[in-house]
Amino acid sequence: MTTNVEVARPRHGRKDPVTPPGRRSVRLGGLDLRLSPYLFVAPFFLLFAVFGAYPLVYTAVLSLRKNTLIGGDAGFVGFENYRKVLVDAHFWTVIYNTFGMFIVATVPQLILALMVASWLNKNMRARTAIRMGVLVPNITSVAAVGIVFGLIFADRYGLANWLIQSVGFDPIEWRNHRWSSWTAIAFMVDWRWTGYNALIYLAAMQAIPKELYESAALDGASAFRRFWRITVPLIQPTILFTVIISTIGGMQLFTEPLLFNYGRIQGGSLNEFQTVAMYIYETTFTNNYNVGKGAAISWLLFLIILIFALVNFLLVRRSVRGNMT
Amino acid sequence: MSTMTRTATPQPAPSAPENPKTPKRRSRRVRSASAALWQASPLTYLALIIAIVLSVFPILWSFIVASRDNSAVTAIPPPLTPGANFFSNAARVLENTDANFLYGLVNSAVVASSVTVSVVFFSTLAGFAFAKLKFRGKNALLLIIIMTMMIPTQINIIPLYLLMVKLDWTNTLQAVIVPFLVQGFGVFMIRQYAESAISDELIEAARIDGASTWRTYWSVVLPALRPAAAVLGLLTFMQTWNDFLWPYVVLNGDTPTVQVSLNILATGYYKTDYVQVFTGTALAIVPLLIVFIAFGRQIIGGIMEGSVKA
Amino acid sequence: MSFTPRRVRSVAAAALTVGLALGIGACSAKKDGGGSDSGAGGSARISLSYFGTPGFTQAVKDFEAANPSIKVDVKNEGQTKDFTPKLAQQLSAGSGASDVVMLEEGMLLQYLKDNKSFANLLDLGASSLEDEYLAFKWKNAFTTDGKKLVGLGTDVGPLAMCYRTDLFQKAGLPTGRDEVSKLWPTWADYIKQGEAFKAKNTGAAWIDSATSIMQPYIMQNSDTWFYDKSDKYIGDTNLAVRKAYDLSMDMAGKGLTAKLQRWQADWDAAFKNAAFATVPCPPWYTGVIKERTGDGGKNKWDIATIPGKGGNWGGSYLAIPEQSKNKKAAFELVKFLTGKQGGLDAFKEAGPLPSSVSALADPSLTGATNDYFNDAPVGQIYAGAAKELKPIYLGPKHQALWENAFEPAMQAAEQGKLSAQAGWDKAIKDSKALAEG
Repeated sequence: MTTNVEVARPRHGRKDPVTPPGRRSVRLGGLDLRLSPYLFVAPFFLLFAVFGAYPLVYTAVLSLRKNTLIGGDAGFVGFENYRKVLVDAHFWTVIYNTFGMFIVATVPQLILALMVASWLNKNMRARTAIRMGVLVPNITSVAAVGIVFGLIFADRYGLANWLIQSVGFDPIEWRNHRWSSWTAIAFMVDWRWTGYNALIYLAAMQAIPKELYESAALDGASAFRRFWRITVPLIQPTILFTVIISTIGGMQLFTEPLLFNYGRIQGGSLNEFQTVAMYIYETTFTNNYNVGKGAAISWLLFLIILIFALVNFLLVRRSVRGNMT
Repeated sequence: MSTMTRTATPQPAPSAPENPKTPKRRSRRVRSASAALWQASPLTYLALIIAIVLSVFPILWSFIVASRDNSAVTAIPPPLTPGANFFSNAARVLENTDANFLYGLVNSAVVASSVTVSVVFFSTLAGFAFAKLKFRGKNALLLIIIMTMMIPTQINIIPLYLLMVKLDWTNTLQAVIVPFLVQGFGVFMIRQYAESAISDELIEAARIDGASTWRTYWSVVLPALRPAAAVLGLLTFMQTWNDFLWPYVVLNGDTPTVQVSLNILATGYYKTDYVQVFTGTALAIVPLLIVFIAFGRQIIGGIMEGSVKA
Repeated sequence: MSFTPRRVRSVAAAALTVGLALGIGACSAKKDGGGSDSGAGGSARISLSYFGTPGFTQAVKDFEAANPSIKVDVKNEGQTKDFTPKLAQQLSAGSGASDVVMLEEGMLLQYLKDNKSFANLLDLGASSLEDEYLAFKWKNAFTTDGKKLVGLGTDVGPLAMCYRTDLFQKAGLPTGRDEVSKLWPTWADYIKQGEAFKAKNTGAAWIDSATSIMQPYIMQNSDTWFYDKSDKYIGDTNLAVRKAYDLSMDMAGKGLTAKLQRWQADWDAAFKNAAFATVPCPPWYTGVIKERTGDGGKNKWDIATIPGKGGNWGGSYLAIPEQSKNKKAAFELVKFLTGKQGGLDAFKEAGPLPSSVSALADPSLTGATNDYFNDAPVGQIYAGAAKELKPIYLGPKHQALWENAFEPAMQAAEQGKLSAQAGWDKAIKDSKALAEG
């Protein structure tokens, strides 16, 4: 959907200035017409330049210097910081964790969201109340989620382990294994975001003509088949949109794993659930206070997100084209 | 309710074999089949109820723990009913001079309101320009805005922090306000809304009446953008209220936002006074819960509308 | 969008009202920041940041009573791991740090190397105080050139072993502190008793974590740890470190450890739930135990001597950041809290043993008993041990090396995720990389 507009726009846009403004400009100051648009968009770009673009460039500059928070700047070192990061197994561990947790969290989340959306896409009583009930986790802060779930998933005295034990299984040491910590963290992320994504899917589903379903039902297609053959293909652009959003969020995962381990930035004794963002913080604000190295990791993370987004973008574009033909 | 549905439609129609003989018959069948197709079944209700219970429970549980005493935290089985200590616990949180919770709440309200007003203003301004005004380089600039949405805050944390140090803004509220006065998402969202919600004729008419571009924005466009602006405002407010990482880096307990206060409680008092931590958590959720209950319909509408537009 | 005009108006109105109402008082909704205002000779307001459980509450009250012109904002910063990065940021930012900050020994050592952010206490009048402090504690806070004193010591950590009498009784072990002390003259004896304890199936472990005996053992058997005195990394060749590691892993392998991680929620809760029977405890640790075990644990803990002998664990310093705008008043506070009265107050409140010589000699300390620990004569136990303490050289990044590199690898081995040897290799590799990074 994003691209729908994006792809279509440029052609339109280019034509517009060619069309002469006509009588309007005679009646009004031409200056107003010519300048106002720029004045209207200028605040955004000015503020962004200072607090968005400049830091981005500055991160790049810092990543090429030896610089610590305690010791200060110690000169240009070229790509030394990048080299150090890339040969460090620690970096690849956190990359693996970040992607792993992203997948473990996102796949069930989006599938669940699709299911919830298809349930919501019916005539029912108390529609708004039900939708609010599904969305309410989204309004809680990540910090609150971390605290509450930190206790729910406490190793020995937590609610989750109490449930697990009461049905006869051994308690799980949540923070001691990769799979268990990822599960718990994915649970936190999904708890907060499934309802939100479900509403987005619901919006897309409501745009699908109902006759499609009705005639499919008449043809004897089962509910699952209708869902798989009609709903999913038709809301595919929206699915990809949520994938992009989840990607950007997932690559930045920080607070949930941090508070899950009660504020320990290393995330598990073998860094089982330390994310790239946590590693950046650990590198920059603890241990050697290495700003240069932290900046290098930051830029690597940015590149990864860009590549990911680009791949997604291409996928979206292809699927939109595919749908049109 | 669910029993009623069950008796009304004992057999879901869609699964009934279809064997149309006459057009008349078919149309009747279509109608009943279609109605059944869109009617939520008891199973749907059940699934949704489970989903809602799972959604609400952790929030409810934080209130339950917050209303008890510290033995509740390690008690097995965990307590599932509220106790009577919520107000004394809340008093303890508010009196805690490390967390400065009351300042945290006030500061968060200040920060979230300022950011919201600013984001809405600049987004409507720029969104209107991108949707309805003609200027050279428009598409390139719009593309830049879309790209800014992909820059994660985290990447900028180090230089932003050093910048705050230089400006001597650490531990001040402007450090968590000023960098967030504009938002690519807001501009984009408003632009998408304005494309369809504001007709060119409307603007044309204002121009013919002799209104300047600013005047057109203020008295014609802004009122027409109100629904989208309100939704953007609500979303921005909630997002700012809940922001954690940046305030965590740049603020301390003297000038906390509520999330920073919460983190101070969590790290300083986890060991001995869990209940205080949970009470803080509950208190931090309450304001947003009120907003959510008051404007839930709008927020839901906004998320759904925004996604279709975007 | 399902907006009615009235709704929209109320949303906008609410947002505006909140924005305006609060926007007016906005940024001033706070008390004085870290820098504080200096009341030229008049009243001053200073801030004090601490971590852990140092027991400053009464001491600060006494200080304010003795210095009516100075008000103190006391800030609990959580644990060292929370406070260390915050402080580093504040120091590099040049603002935001409290006027007086508590530094763990490891942190102090890092800042001795990089001392430009801290005031020289000698300039503020500390030079005449030397005799007031235990000699090693005093010396430890000097820069290598001996010209700058960065901190004054609050407390020292001579070691003892705390144990739960209820669990000992359950396991058929003696419960009196003298008899218990005789159970474990050496660490090998201690492990042997652990095995006997385990055989009785009380449901509790012998000790909270394998990592808990590293500190005592190394402190008893070496005068260095990760660094030699020229700050070269020697963690891989220091025999005491390897021996302590092997001992710990031996205990873990025999299933004597509860595999808990210190300072984490489950560890906190384990005190309340009587999940382990013994834990090495310097004086400041008695406050930690009491705070976590809670009222229900009164008289269930007691204190015996530590296996091996001697050894120090922890003990902190107070320092004044260079950015403080009120160093004079800050120094008064430092002097008071590390001095006789402050030390005695803290000892009474939370148990840390003062590093002030006159406090250590005070009858109210030497005769003190701890009513939470079965009236154990803590004054006698700890004050006696304090005079025997020998300094150990920890080096600049000790805290990070231990907490962020060595300890996690060790925990991984304890949890069975790595073999003992692989755990060692990782601990060495990571700590070395960090030391040299």
